Amino acid sequence: MKKLGSESVISPIWNWKITAASFSLLIFVVFLAISFGPVHLEFQKIIRTLFGLPGGLTGQERTLLIDLRLPRALLAVIVGAALATSGAVYQTVFRNPLADPYLLGAAAGAGLGATIAITSAGADLYSLLPIFSFFGAILAVLVSFFISGKFFAEPNSLLLSGIAVGSFATAVQTYLQQRNSSSLRPVYSWILGELTVANWQKVTWSSIYIFIALTILITVSKQLDGLMLTDEEAYSLGINPNRLRVIAVIAATLATATAVSASGLIGFVGIVVPHLVRGITHRVTNRGLLTIALVGASFLVLADLGARTLLSPAELPIGVITAFVGAPFFLVVLRKKRLVAK
Amino acid sequence: MFQNRSSFGVRILVATITIAVLGLTPTSAASGKPQRIISLSPSATETLFAIGAGSQVIAVDDLSNFPTNAPISKLSAFSPNVEALLNYKPDLIILNADATKAIEVKAALEKLNIKVFLEKAPKDLSQVYLEITALGRATDNLASAQTVVTTMKGKIRAAIKSGRQAKKISFFHELDNTLYTATSDTFIGKVYKDFNLTNVADPAASADSAGYPQLQSEYLIKSNPRIIFLSDAQYGESLATLMKRPGWNGISAVSKKSVIALPEDIPSRWGPRLVDFYEFIAAAIGKIK
Repeated sequence: MKKLGSESVISPIWNWKITAASFSLLIFVVFLAISFGPVHLEFQKIIRTLFGLPGGLTGQERTLLIDLRLPRALLAVIVGAALATSGAVYQTVFRNPLADPYLLGAAAGAGLGATIAITSAGADLYSLLPIFSFFGAILAVLVSFFISGKFFAEPNSLLLSGIAVGSFATAVQTYLQQRNSSSLRPVYSWILGELTVANWQKVTWSSIYIFIALTILITVSKQLDGLMLTDEEAYSLGINPNRLRVIAVIAATLATATAVSASGLIGFVGIVVPHLVRGITHRVTNRGLLTIALVGASFLVLADLGARTLLSPAELPIGVITAFVGAPFFLVVLRKKRLVAK
Repeated sequence: MFQNRSSFGVRILVATITIAVLGLTPTSAASGKPQRIISLSPSATETLFAIGAGSQVIAVDDLSNFPTNAPISKLSAFSPNVEALLNYKPDLIILNADATKAIEVKAALEKLNIKVFLEKAPKDLSQVYLEITALGRATDNLASAQTVVTTMKGKIRAAIKSGRQAKKISFFHELDNTLYTATSDTFIGKVYKDFNLTNVADPAASADSAGYPQLQSEYLIKSNPRIIFLSDAQYGESLATLMKRPGWNGISAVSKKSVIALPEDIPSRWGPRLVDFYEFIAAAIGKIK
């Protein structure tokens, strides 16, 4: 174990080979994901179709690949990257390894927004579900900020107000749900998260917001390391810690809200993936954010492959898989980490 | 608040007079033909009015919207409240077995000498008939309940005869736009089966023990149903929205416009209006050739 310590002294802060490897992994799992489904498609033809070569898929098979499997896999990539990166950033900002993207009430707020859209009987609001859950998430985080007052003067008071806002939103959501028992199943399946209704439109708009948010986060990732020091030390490095925290939380919240509104509440990605990457690489630096995003994307693509194939031709909510696979994996990483620390 | 207190006073007065004058315990008031029935089940409400027990019904739950002259109230069938029920001074309550804490609510009501009829969701038509007969017995309308059952049996048999397909036709029953559906194990699935239709959801039957799995879009396109029944038409789904879904144009139900919007409520009411549902399906598939 000594070797690891000395290695981290000699090696640079971030090893770009790891990032390149994660990128290759992502490409591989995306190809894997679009090759499997209830309908058998020839792998060679899939490749030919994707690269526009002659002899690719035609007719209905082409539609299956281009309009169903591909957007679904890409949505998993986008959402997985968003949740994993946001989780890592929240953990740094709050100096809390248990922080996840839903910490400041984003999940509960989105859940309330979605429930309002689902229970509002009329056809009009149901189609606006993504917008309702998006603003629900943003609003909940804003309210948490306002209640805590001093922004980051006391991170703990922000955490606590996030918990209070979350409980409040959940209470209203449960009330609405009880009053509209016919909406129980749609609300429940939304809460477990799903990528079943992925389409190109969803992929397009969610990728825009998430790309903006992740670009901001990865750009400031170097400075984010400063937040792991005391505020005085951070200032001495030329970092304004509170301004940085606000920027980071806003960007992470934008990414989370978009992810949630596109796919419901998919749990555990935001905690498992950052710890997994840090555990494997033995590095806590935020310069690994890009890698965390890539691994998060791969993780969710694989989880969705499981959601589609385990009960085929039926679906399994993806949130079940992320937690079922994620929790034990997480424990293994934690245990390894403890052994390393010894 | 005031109203509650006064009705409480009245209740004590009535109880005292009953005990003092008649020298009876209040339990005996619960025997004989029930006159103050509360129905906490939309299906049972429809049955009660069809078998001639309507005049004995004093309140029905907030979802019992048929028949229109049923005394609809704010009572919840989903999470029944014992005190709210007591306010009506009922002598018989029809309680759905799937309601929140149904067993506890039943026990509490029976302790207060109120009879409870526990209504279980029927698994097939024969259980519906049994339930109608049982409701007839519980409300002292047995003869007319039996007449209702006989009429239903005749009409449903006629509907099946007119609509039953000689050749198997495949169909998809859509519960919502995330492709939740019902297999042939469910009550509604059995209705389709009576018409010799083939349910594309049946290969996914093992995914959900209750028979309501969620299908994959890709699988649905591959299974290519000839008819699609939309029970989510009230949420805005229609042939037009199905055509916009990727790959759905290739499904023969969509390309041949055999997309049928199911009427609201009727498919989930397991009472006398099942006849309407059978006749609706018979008429709908009769037009598809």
